[in-house]
Amino acid sequence: MAQKPKVDPHVGRLGYLQALVTEFQETQSQDAKEQVLANLANFAYDPANYQYLRQLQVLDLFLDSLSEENETLVEFAIGAVGSPWRLSGWNLYKLPFSGTQTDPGGLCNLCADRANREYILQAGGVPLIVNCLSSPSEETVLSAVTALMGLGSPGGGSHPELTARPVVQCMLRFSLSASARLRNLAQIFLEDFCSPSQVAEARSWRADAALGIPLPRTEAPQQP
Amino acid sequence: MASSGGQVGGVFDHHVQRAVCDSRAKYREGRRPRAVKVYTINLESWYLLIQGVPAVGAMKELVERFALYGAIEQYNALDEYPAEDFTEVYLIKFLNLQSARIAKRKMDEQSFFGGLLHVCYAPEFETVEETRKKLQERNAYVARMTKNKDHYVTKKHKDAKDFRGDFHSKTSRFPAASLKTSTGNSDLCLPYSSELPLCYFSPKCTCSSGEDVDRPSDSSQDGRNSDGTLGHCDHCDSLQKMQMKTSQNSLARRGAQKALSPSEAVDRFMPRTTQLQERKRRREDDCKRETLLEAGTSSNEVMIGPQLPVIPKVDMHDDSLNTTADLIRNKLKEVISSVPKPPEDKVEDVPRSRPLKQRRRI
Repeated sequence: MAQKPKVDPHVGRLGYLQALVTEFQETQSQDAKEQVLANLANFAYDPANYQYLRQLQVLDLFLDSLSEENETLVEFAIGAVGSPWRLSGWNLYKLPFSGTQTDPGGLCNLCADRANREYILQAGGVPLIVNCLSSPSEETVLSAVTALMGLGSPGGGSHPELTARPVVQCMLRFSLSASARLRNLAQIFLEDFCSPSQVAEARSWRADAALGIPLPRTEAPQQP
Repeated sequence: MASSGGQVGGVFDHHVQRAVCDSRAKYREGRRPRAVKVYTINLESWYLLIQGVPAVGAMKELVERFALYGAIEQYNALDEYPAEDFTEVYLIKFLNLQSARIAKRKMDEQSFFGGLLHVCYAPEFETVEETRKKLQERNAYVARMTKNKDHYVTKKHKDAKDFRGDFHSKTSRFPAASLKTSTGNSDLCLPYSSELPLCYFSPKCTCSSGEDVDRPSDSSQDGRNSDGTLGHCDHCDSLQKMQMKTSQNSLARRGAQKALSPSEAVDRFMPRTTQLQERKRRREDDCKRETLLEAGTSSNEVMIGPQLPVIPKVDMHDDSLNTTADLIRNKLKEVISSVPKPPEDKVEDVPRSRPLKQRRRI
């Protein structure tokens, strides 16, 4: 149940990946789509494949899959993007950010690369990933958190979108979650990617807001 | 997706074994039946959960078996974990993430003392520090690999050019040898003598060795072994490998040169007609493909080995010999062009089943 067996000679790999992409685009079967996406996501785990995936624009495929209704596809796609993926010179010149539901699993991988990071931030990928934080699937949420970490810079110099109050508050909630994995990841996010003041500010608002939705006026927030 | 055990040590969804997928298209079926699952760095862990261990007091043997894959930092039985009757559940922590990966892959679904083990990752046992370390290691690894990949790509290019230079110097020797040894074959050998070493060099450039090599390790190794690659030919029945391997497959089968190093092959072996023809055809197709694909930097394209010249002009250092060679070459060109070409083992043929075998000419 580990990585799908890879085509050993790199020459044949491109062809295989191409065949996968073609099948994904042409098939009507949800099962086949899931299988192919999972296969591609597992390929995205290995940096050796990045040149082929780049050539075949599989990144766009992952991003497109974010807007799929099938939760499994979303989970797989963000799984692929979610693992650190340092591509030098990967060019995300077109990102079809059409849907609101993003695909954290695949994007997670991608986000570690500096060039990608800049682009995703500029292209407005962060809100899409943040939306994934409210996914019912734990794996999706975990991958989304990892993707956000990939997008951020350690040491608190992250992009403002990433450390926006709703996000930080969400992470604070996650850090109290029953799930150890989520707790750990959220804690790392808060410690490494947010400045203490941001965390403190978010914490002070915590009592009265959930993901940026304020409580009714009758319960006025306690301002520091 | 809340799991029934929110506490560490409870049952999680990622512990559950998924059903094997049986509806996969043939071209993308693997060697072993597998479920549909994506592995991310979040999921992988030094901690492995092993279920289905028969309760026969075999903890020591279990740990020893797993220790084959790497050093184990700690292990213990999980008594509270829900287990089937007469089975136990263990937690093993490896020192090294790669060992954990290998151990999981190899030991999952293995039989142990009469039971089938189910091995899965257990990242929920990690501490915050461990998770952080895991992510940092992963980042560093990816950074290293992509840097190396850039190196490797440029090096491969350089190697390819070097090889081409090498075999040209070899071919000037070869025809002389072939002329002496057999008159019948020599006229056929000459134009193709340059082919032979090329095809052996090309596996060196492009193929990765080892079918079961782990994920990270087979990408940028330069120590490719042409023997190993050719050796794989006869074992590979997987469609996924056929694109590259069949080219060597036919070589290996026909020429029986599996273990020969390129230089030995050139000196000792007389290529057969079909082999030569096939190689020539492949060469021409390569050239055609080159123009079609407009391969700028061939390193990223699906090129097998160095770029082959259209017709390697072998200089015999003698006018009459050269003339003869040219005549023969041209004649063969005519002959070849009239021969119906069997489907080539090119990249585009991936979804197809095996390419048709060449008919041997007696």
